[in-house]
Amino acid sequence: MISLGAPEDLRDLRPRFHAMVGLVLLAFIGLVGRLCQLQILEGEHYARRAERNFIDAVPVEAPRGRIFDASGEPLATNRPAYSLYITAWVRDVAPVVPGVAVVRGDRKAMPDDAVRQLAAQLEFVDENDRKKFVGAVNVLRADEEKGHYATAVRGNLTWEEYARIQTRLDSLGNWVEIRESSRRHYPQADITGFVTGYMGNVRPETLKRGGHAGYRTGDRVGRTGIERQWENYLRGRLGARSRVVDVRGQEVPTPPNEALAVLPPDRDPIPGQDIHLTLDLELQRAAYDAFEGVLAGAVVAIDVETGAILAMVSIPAIDPNLYEHPIPRTLWDEWTASPLKPFIDKTVQEHFFPGSTYKVVSALTALQDPEFDPSREVECTGAVKYGGRRFRDTHAHGFMNLERAIVESCNVYFYTLAMEETLTLEDMAGVARSLGLGERTGLGLNGEVRGRIPTEAFEARTGTYQRGVQLNNAIGQGNVKVTVLQLAVLYATLANGGELLTPYIVERVTTNDGRLVFSSQPQAKIAPEITASDLERVHRGLLGVVNDESGTAYSERPRGLVVVGKTGTAQVGRDQQREAAEVEGWDSSKDHAWFAAYGPADAPQVAVVALVEHGGAGADAAAPIVMKVLQHRLGGTSESEAPVRAPGVPPPLPGRDEGREGEGGR
Amino acid sequence: MNRMLLGKPQDLWGRIRRSIDWVVVTIAFALISLAVINLNSAGTVAWSESVMIHVGWLCVGTIAMFAVSAVDYRVLYRTSYVAYGAGVALLGAVAVWAYTAKGAGRWLVIGSQRFQPSELMKVLLIVALARYIHDLPRREGNRVRYLFGALGMVLVPAIFVIRQPDLGTGIFLILIATSMLAVTELRLRSILVLGSAGVLSLALMWRYGMLEYQRNRIDVWLTPELYADDDGYQTIQAMISVGNGGFFGRGVDAGTQNVLRFLPERFTDFPFAVYAEEWGFVGCSMVLALFISLVLWSINLASQARDRFSALLCIGVAALFFWHVVINVGMVLQVFPVVGITLPFFSRGGTNLLSMMIALGILMSVSRSRQYR
Repeated sequence: MISLGAPEDLRDLRPRFHAMVGLVLLAFIGLVGRLCQLQILEGEHYARRAERNFIDAVPVEAPRGRIFDASGEPLATNRPAYSLYITAWVRDVAPVVPGVAVVRGDRKAMPDDAVRQLAAQLEFVDENDRKKFVGAVNVLRADEEKGHYATAVRGNLTWEEYARIQTRLDSLGNWVEIRESSRRHYPQADITGFVTGYMGNVRPETLKRGGHAGYRTGDRVGRTGIERQWENYLRGRLGARSRVVDVRGQEVPTPPNEALAVLPPDRDPIPGQDIHLTLDLELQRAAYDAFEGVLAGAVVAIDVETGAILAMVSIPAIDPNLYEHPIPRTLWDEWTASPLKPFIDKTVQEHFFPGSTYKVVSALTALQDPEFDPSREVECTGAVKYGGRRFRDTHAHGFMNLERAIVESCNVYFYTLAMEETLTLEDMAGVARSLGLGERTGLGLNGEVRGRIPTEAFEARTGTYQRGVQLNNAIGQGNVKVTVLQLAVLYATLANGGELLTPYIVERVTTNDGRLVFSSQPQAKIAPEITASDLERVHRGLLGVVNDESGTAYSERPRGLVVVGKTGTAQVGRDQQREAAEVEGWDSSKDHAWFAAYGPADAPQVAVVALVEHGGAGADAAAPIVMKVLQHRLGGTSESEAPVRAPGVPPPLPGRDEGREGEGGR
Repeated sequence: MNRMLLGKPQDLWGRIRRSIDWVVVTIAFALISLAVINLNSAGTVAWSESVMIHVGWLCVGTIAMFAVSAVDYRVLYRTSYVAYGAGVALLGAVAVWAYTAKGAGRWLVIGSQRFQPSELMKVLLIVALARYIHDLPRREGNRVRYLFGALGMVLVPAIFVIRQPDLGTGIFLILIATSMLAVTELRLRSILVLGSAGVLSLALMWRYGMLEYQRNRIDVWLTPELYADDDGYQTIQAMISVGNGGFFGRGVDAGTQNVLRFLPERFTDFPFAVYAEEWGFVGCSMVLALFISLVLWSINLASQARDRFSALLCIGVAALFFWHVVINVGMVLQVFPVVGITLPFFSRGGTNLLSMMIALGILMSVSRSRQYR
């Protein structure tokens, strides 16, 4: 052992020390070189990558365009709401004890526990609602690609839900986020329910289709009505807001100034365009109120000069506000099972036998036959026999000419014309089609149906041809089916002197700040070949229906207003009768009640058609509704004692100066 | 008159002042100041509990440093084997009653504190190995025989540590021993043979002996971008942090990678990345310069030492700091794979800090009695 007492000679170690110094210097120069490379040469690159880490662009929802009636009353607006967003796959950088294992940067899926905890904060309307929510979350958890992004899983949180989640955000984990959004509000609720339509979550099929780029899971889209048809105008375009997030993807309340400085500028959303309808809300409400006590039915009021829809009501209607919240299964099932079909817009989506309202088509067809003499009288004995079948009438009307037959709604008269081959299926179909029946009117709302105007070929094809079918056809039974809107357009054509119009309901579209985007012009279709004199004959007949003492709707005539109209009582075929009518007061064996009218008689402005399903006689059930609507629109006062014209005085003729002069001269 | 020429007789304070190596103290406390600033910046709030614990350990370490520096290094010589034996015993204790955290048992829990004997072992090995090499008979023929003794002294603790498993620290012990042997005992040829043997054994371990996570770590090191979202996340984020610092840095507490928590392990393995982001190239060069000064000063002390033992102590301490800094900084800069080697003073960890301060104390103790003061 060498003593440590005396100094040693260590000079032989010197070269080693020098070599060591050299090595140390070399190593440090290497490190400084690498630092230089990363920080100075490639510094910009890494600065960009650091920015990519913390910059997060959040889409900002555009306020949806509003819907207004003709006077500017809102029918659909927006209200602030809160939406629940979930990012199912969040980077979870777990704290690790020094150096033991590399910290992995994996994203981890939201665990079952967290889903359960979150679900406990929500108010589900039923088990089905809960399943749907959990299902939506599971879809995100299953798909790592999709799960990277915050996705709306539940919109329109209640205040309680919002408060509960907001206070528990820390314990619920990084998956959950609440963002401000908006919900749709329909101030008129079910009064305009079918016109505005309602909104629903965008369907997965829609998202898959490439054409609908720009929709995200959880977005709301219009499902029916204007909301659906004008979706692209109402929708607006998403904006983007940049924000600083930390490693958990959470927004940082007080980010470093440098981070704020490099944030890209926010992009404002482009608000959706406002839709102004031709609808007269007051009239719509009056029409809706007129259905008081009626279970199912529809009414359409149309401006006869332009084709603008003034009111359009279908009963029963579902309040579109309900769709902004989850709907309990039981309620949904109730709607689906209801024989009243609350989902169906009965103005356009369902067709019915027109019944006697169709006699105007029969009359016009007959008048086109040069051999037909409208003043010839036919005796009605209450029924006719044809081909071994009895075709009934309500009662024996006696001797009828064309005008009387319309006034008193005599079936036998039209049976006779049909038997005499004046009214063949082909001729009837020709006239009906020229008046817009059997085709969509082109309103473009709620998936109109065509209706049905039978021809010989049609009857042969469907195997429904039997002898005497043209007899039923002549009185609007058999296989004739029309929609309420079609009939309204038809009566508007009669009212405006023979111009067939395309109905429209959107008056104009404006941007959020009021600039005009689109405005509707009245559009006439190919005019039916109806002579003025034929029209006048039919008009006179219709005038008698309301104003002649023997008219079928005389009892319903309004005070202070001369209107023109036609009742209809459509028998419901057996196959039409719906199953298990459990609704009180609903008798599916009763006839459909129709009333089609326009007024005022001398210068018609509005045509109104009402249908009351299984309402019984047209004059009793449907006519009062139409009269109320007409009175509301035309101001005919029920208080005014003024004249119902003296019986026997011929009422004025529509839209024709000579008619009015004639009246004045008398 | 005489008193004027010769100056006042040294009082106690004067003697203490002159016996302290102010170079070491200055460098150490400059580094410690930067490290504490950096730890505060890496935390959510300044002077958080964990920083205060670090500061507490700093105080303990400072006391230990001055205490060790006051001890004559010849006392260290006498106690070296006992201390070494105690260190190995502690490692054995860890193996038996390891506090297991994240699959690796490295800690002994005493009271509320955790101790990591493998950190202390680094210093104990330096002292013991210095004595062993010092005691070797010089200028004799077969010296390889003696090397086996040294090998044994290194491998016993190294194997304990590697089995924890902590491959990084195990290799670190071997590196320190090799450095000390390289300065004194080994010929150039032996160094080359040893070096190639080391590379070969690493290659063999890579093929057969490595655990899956260790092999994976090498993979990630070579191609971190392929693993950017999982295993390579740490490496990539560290590089982004360093690069984001640029020339002048983002400023203390203003580095986005640090403040927004994109950088993991900000307190333990990657405090240098935090520092690099906030202080930039300028700050990094400054810290590296401080560390290099410390290492070079140690080598300088070694060359002025009175005897082989004290020279070896200085070389050991130089190697300790050198490898710590090179490996840790190299790991942050993707020059080395991620291994659990800390950066002295900057990383949190009480035993590590204490060991470093003791090492500095040893340096100061040698410095006090070097030949050319």
